Amino acid sequence: MNKETSSKGLLSNVRRYWPLYIMSIPGIVFFIIFKFIPMGGTVIAFQEYSVFKGILHSEWVGFKNFEILFRSPDFYRIFTNTLILGFLKITIMFAVPIILALLLNEIRRAVLKKTIQTALYIPHFLSWVIIAGITFEIFSLSGIFNTIREWFGLDPVLLMQQESAFRWIYVFTGIWRDAGWGTIVYLAAISSIDAQIYEAAVIDGASRFKQMVYITLPLLLPTILVLFLLEVGNFMELGFDHVYTLLTPMTYSVGDIIDTYVYRTGIQEARYSYATAIGLFQAIIGFILVMIFNKLSNKVSGEGLW
Amino acid sequence: MFRRKTLLVMMCLVIVVGLIAACSSNSSNSSSKNATSSNGSSNTSGQTDAADKIVDIEVWNGNTGFKAVEKGSPMYNFLAELLGVGFISPYVEWNGGTDYLNALNARIAAGEMPNVFLPYNGNEAELARNGAIADLTDLLPLYAPKLWELIPEEVWNIVKANDPTGQGRIYWVPGIKSYEKTTGLIRKDWLDALGLEMPTTQEEYVNVLRAFKEQDPNGNGVADEIPTGGRENARWMDHLFNQYGIAMVEGFPDWDIYDGELTFSAVSSNMKDALAFIAQLYKEGLMDQETFLNDKATWDGKIDSNLVGNYFHWGQGAYEHLEKLELGSGVKAEITVLPVIEAPGYEGKGFITTKQLGNPEWVVSAQQDEEHLIASLKFLNEIADESKWYDIYMGVEGMHHEVVDGKKVKLPEDKSTQQNSVSPFYQWGSMEFQEQMLLDSASEENKWRYDQSVQNMKELQQYVKVIAGDGLPSSIYDGYPDIKNNTLWYEYATKIIIGTYSIDKFDEFVEKWYKSGGNVVTERAREWYAKVK
Repeated sequence: MNKETSSKGLLSNVRRYWPLYIMSIPGIVFFIIFKFIPMGGTVIAFQEYSVFKGILHSEWVGFKNFEILFRSPDFYRIFTNTLILGFLKITIMFAVPIILALLLNEIRRAVLKKTIQTALYIPHFLSWVIIAGITFEIFSLSGIFNTIREWFGLDPVLLMQQESAFRWIYVFTGIWRDAGWGTIVYLAAISSIDAQIYEAAVIDGASRFKQMVYITLPLLLPTILVLFLLEVGNFMELGFDHVYTLLTPMTYSVGDIIDTYVYRTGIQEARYSYATAIGLFQAIIGFILVMIFNKLSNKVSGEGLW
Repeated sequence: MFRRKTLLVMMCLVIVVGLIAACSSNSSNSSSKNATSSNGSSNTSGQTDAADKIVDIEVWNGNTGFKAVEKGSPMYNFLAELLGVGFISPYVEWNGGTDYLNALNARIAAGEMPNVFLPYNGNEAELARNGAIADLTDLLPLYAPKLWELIPEEVWNIVKANDPTGQGRIYWVPGIKSYEKTTGLIRKDWLDALGLEMPTTQEEYVNVLRAFKEQDPNGNGVADEIPTGGRENARWMDHLFNQYGIAMVEGFPDWDIYDGELTFSAVSSNMKDALAFIAQLYKEGLMDQETFLNDKATWDGKIDSNLVGNYFHWGQGAYEHLEKLELGSGVKAEITVLPVIEAPGYEGKGFITTKQLGNPEWVVSAQQDEEHLIASLKFLNEIADESKWYDIYMGVEGMHHEVVDGKKVKLPEDKSTQQNSVSPFYQWGSMEFQEQMLLDSASEENKWRYDQSVQNMKELQQYVKVIAGDGLPSSIYDGYPDIKNNTLWYEYATKIIIGTYSIDKFDEFVEKWYKSGGNVVTERAREWYAKVK
């Protein structure tokens, strides 16, 4: 009985809102063709894939590729680096857009606010190759960093060669590029907060700072949570471009992540099975993390992705 | 209301213009794609005579920034007339070989292999085993006799011995190294300006470097001189390594006899001493502090800006730097060969590494029809014709050379207008041919540059030694990509030199290298050596 009514419900729904369904078809088709069908290709992670034999005729090797990965002497290092950089990404790099949005919200003159906003999210459109080039230049012997050091009588330091500097450079370049862009969603959420709540707070004598802490932030929490969960799902996706362009052999020990390792040993050597196996590994970890955090989020705040 | 309408119309116009711009560039892209994907179709120039028909083949041979060769373009027409083959070569970024390899692999995976191409990083072994490239053993003497004759029989025999299928067949065309091109090079004019002799011992060499740094030989009143240096991954600074008898090709450690056995030079005890010395140079500031951040363009830029006293590269390439030095700083420099320095404890043991077997230069796709296969072989046959090398070198009139007083003079390199070409003279040319080519391209005013190049080319030969690893197949690295790519070496070498690691960490490097697959690779190499030598 239930099944009939629900299927009747779906059909009548479709009939009533058919323009909307038609409009969503391109999107659905796109996802099926480019996201779902290629997922079938992940089977090559369990094969010894040869481009000349194709998927159907390459031999099956089970978990051999995963074994090779876990036994590789570099695995511990690349996995740790990926975790550490991922952790930095979802803590520091995630927090900055929120703080920036709250600060931007306090600017009263609209023109100034818009100008600063625009200036902040322009770097988002630069490719990592350009940003890495600029970074190398800034920290080169003739770059501004060492020039200022010389003014203070200090010796020049080539930061791009230092292991200790790599993670900080990763974080700062990441913030410089993407923090501004991240503020867009938060500012939109803030602007949707009912102005009457603020008025009530002003009547109660709250300072602007107190308003921010007791009104803006709590009402922003659902948005923050959703974006955080999405970020966690991308945990293992550190941005290959970002790390690869900043990497030098001298910083491999802290910068070599799973993505760059796969690029070097998998793709460049045309070992597509191996590369896919590692990609699958990353995806599974990301999936597990999203599930865990979603459950946690549901328990703690009642809000979650599903 | 009126304003809104005009705004709307303007925005629509912008969109339309944008679309036209995007689509027009797309169509020019797709037209070149059509030209290059004409694997199955041949030129319909209306000629029906089979012998005169120009068959188009797609050739990939590494492009450092020159323009692509499309059907009907000047280079295409030039080579069609000279070789009788339609040479089409799309632009594939080289980027040290990595981008080229990626693009090539993608094409192979898609089943659209170029007709003839340059294999890289040992991928020819895999291709041969899968039957993707043609077995040339019988085809070459039949369809490319000039190429067959050009390369000596001993070299063909080594190729047969290195056959990855183990059946003694030939799957690639090797380059010949009839003479060594690389050497340490020094600014002799700086030595003269400071009243110094050409150094031969390490002590003299270090003193010269110190003098370069402190006594302002480039005469501009600023202490901006870089005594010596190299490029990222500790490459192109071989002159600092070869003092210690280390086998190294263009900065990549190679295989030679150490302690009586074929060993990878990076893990020999010679290497430890070499790294200690170089670390000392770096610490004292006698080496470019940015060495490991230099790419080719940056390092060449420093040389050409009258800053570098001593570098390592092609002896015959001096004329390029001399030209830029004169154009940029107005100085008529003198770049001569730096002798292999005598290091303490290694007197007489230093050398410039050379090999006689060149790298594989050409392979032919087996996934093409007979017409294109024969065209591919014809291409190889014609470029092996020495009588055509001068014309190929000179290139297209107006693009690569101009005619002055009835003589062809090469135009300066300009990647924005010049098309890519082939360089059979570098792949198979003798030193005499090279000398002739260089002197022929000289004019009265710039002959002094070419004279220096020729002089360097000849003088470096006395320091050259053929290493035991000559001819070692890349299949010994199968299954150990990080060993093949020297990843561990780059990390440890660079860190030891810049001082992050102390020299004692070298032993750790050796241990790690052996443990992560170096022992298997060494065993395979020694097996090969016992069999072949």
